[in-house]
Amino acid sequence: MKDYAYPEVLVSTQWVEEHLNDSDIRIIESNEDILLYKKGHIPGAVPIDWQADLQDQATRDYVTKEEFEQLVSKKGISNDTKMVFYGDKSNWWACYAFWAFKLYGHEHCVIMDGGRQKWEAEKRPLTKDNPQHPLAKYEAKEKDMSIRAYRAEVLYHSKSGKPMVDVRSPEEYSGELLHMADYPQEGAMRGGHIPGAVNVPWEMAVNEDGTFKTREELEKIYLEEQKLDPKRTTLAYCRIGERSSHTWFVLTYLLGFPDVKNYDGSWVEWGNLVGVPIDRNV
Amino acid sequence: MNKLETTIHQFQSLDDDFRLDLLLDYAEKLPVLPEKYQAAKDIGLNRVHECQTPVYLWVEVEQGKVKIFADVAEEAPTVRGIVSILVNSLTDASPAEIENIPNDLLFRLGIGQRVGMVRIQGLSAILYRIKKEVEKQLKSDHLDS
Repeated sequence: MKDYAYPEVLVSTQWVEEHLNDSDIRIIESNEDILLYKKGHIPGAVPIDWQADLQDQATRDYVTKEEFEQLVSKKGISNDTKMVFYGDKSNWWACYAFWAFKLYGHEHCVIMDGGRQKWEAEKRPLTKDNPQHPLAKYEAKEKDMSIRAYRAEVLYHSKSGKPMVDVRSPEEYSGELLHMADYPQEGAMRGGHIPGAVNVPWEMAVNEDGTFKTREELEKIYLEEQKLDPKRTTLAYCRIGERSSHTWFVLTYLLGFPDVKNYDGSWVEWGNLVGVPIDRNV
Repeated sequence: MNKLETTIHQFQSLDDDFRLDLLLDYAEKLPVLPEKYQAAKDIGLNRVHECQTPVYLWVEVEQGKVKIFADVAEEAPTVRGIVSILVNSLTDASPAEIENIPNDLLFRLGIGQRVGMVRIQGLSAILYRIKKEVEKQLKSDHLDS
């Protein structure tokens, strides 16, 4: 596929339709709109909701290893299941779920290129039936912190002048808005960006049909225009860490950066932190 | 209890999963936008800008009754569902009934946790818009007569 660094992390809608009944794969739908799955989903697909399933509100963190094990075993996922993620908004939430599965050390994860939008556009089958998959046995690993950054590391990273990519809209980056245009403006005390971060809105990486751009196009954006260097540790962030997981995916798998971390605390944390600098210059 | 309060009460009495099923039912029964508003919608008029998903809204007050017409893309069933609740529950209400609906009513649907509070805020803007529009039309009717 399009000459990517790790082309095996993408599958086409065609491939998914041909493998709907394979026993070693599990299709996961992850959306922003919580009703889309109920409205109709790929036959056999199970939903994962980033908020209800993956986050523990009490600790403002991801669920524990044991909770993750319980969650995925119930969906019939075992350690060697090949996970196929797809969803709305050009796979924005699917990439987030993919990142979360990687955080718990799941090995075989792929994204269906084009997501729900392309599947629907091609009039492939959708069903309202809720699949029942037999309970599986799952053993999660300790969280893989090599793909996740905490605030202390981000501060050190920023002060050391290391590369960062802010994947929010230009208006959020400049501090004019605290959330995407037309979303309610809440969540952070200050507007701006982390000093040293370049701005590449996440959707720059996708085509109108929801598929990823070619490697050549992506290199032009991230390497030529923004001068990001695959050899350096790079952090990505957005408002709450979901849009940036999409960019994390692009940099890691499509462009082959070996060391990219998602700062999931993102702007709602940084914009509110006491004693850390922000930048409003564009 | 007016129609909207009855609907909210119905949502509150259900568990999480059934609530979403009910919301999807509403999404599927949002009436089609009347032909007379189609052209205006196509050029972007009457869009509710507080909602990230494009929502188009028209309010009419005729002979003491309120009529609401709306359009929301099928790809956004959650927003469609909530708009449909408003359209179905508020159509034929009296202006006074509309005026008396508490502004935070949508927060009581019990889906804030799942939909995200921010989304509910955007949707509350639709209720606010309906109220303002009814108020405006009553005023202009008053001036006309």
